[in-house]
Amino acid sequence: MDQRLSHAPDAARDVPDDALLVSYANGDALAGREMVRRLSPILFGYATRVLQDRAEAEDVVQETMLRLWKIAPDWRQGEAKVSTWAYRVTANLCTDRLRKRRGSQINIDDVAEPKADLASAVEAMTDVARSEALTEALNTLPDRQRQAVILRHLEGVSNPDIAKIMDIGVEAVESLTARGRRALKTALSGRKEELGYSDDG
Amino acid sequence: MTDDPRDDAALDALFQAERTRRFEPTPDFMARLEADADAALPRSVSHPQPVLRRTSWLAGVFTASGLSGATLAGIWLGFAMPESFDAFSLLADSSVELTAFLPGADMGSLFDE
Repeated sequence: MDQRLSHAPDAARDVPDDALLVSYANGDALAGREMVRRLSPILFGYATRVLQDRAEAEDVVQETMLRLWKIAPDWRQGEAKVSTWAYRVTANLCTDRLRKRRGSQINIDDVAEPKADLASAVEAMTDVARSEALTEALNTLPDRQRQAVILRHLEGVSNPDIAKIMDIGVEAVESLTARGRRALKTALSGRKEELGYSDDG
Repeated sequence: MTDDPRDDAALDALFQAERTRRFEPTPDFMARLEADADAALPRSVSHPQPVLRRTSWLAGVFTASGLSGATLAGIWLGFAMPESFDAFSLLADSSVELTAFLPGADMGSLFDE
């Protein structure tokens, strides 16, 4: 498909991602800019949630987009979703950085057992405290679990797409997110006393 | 481990609240990404004209050339035909051609019968 958009920027918004990429590969600069506008905010949000660092998230997204431009001439329409491919590259780059940062993953067994029920703990928290609590709880998860949970519950990506992004089966995604949820409940319940709320007080 | 349904509801509420938090890239970062895209634009194609613009241009050329061609042809026929085309002389010449193709044919005897 040789659909150029330089003459009509507004028309670019209706063009599918893969057609845009092919158009970019054929020399259409505006198609590339439209891809940046579409993909970058999504990838940046995801990378920021995973890495908890805006500067690192920017590096990861920039690297992802550079790789996208590189493969653009070889992209075959209809074989894969561009967004899924980009998510996958971003996820892998995030994993690399997390591994370097941590050196080793935190085992789910290391997470503290709950000391109180989660529902009452969450109810007592302020919005900011809730966000911080969830972020910190997410950080206790092993990398793969965290990425699966973020993709599923915060980015709203479907399980089949997560399977493609993480290069695993759908059942493995379900298992990761289920274990992630259990671990989060465990970690968050443990925060009840930490935040000053307990069953008897 | 908590299997209390209320804990699941609480966790979902946390997710819901967190989803409303947006992490927007800065304009500077977006500009950097656009500059990267421009710099990596495939060099094999030297910024060709958009297809639609090019086809529109071609359509215009064909339309204009078609109209003007037809007009010129009409004008030429108008001027050239009277001199080079004489319908009566063509009719007269045709009998010559006929006898040439049918040697021995006597056109006069045909009419006599």
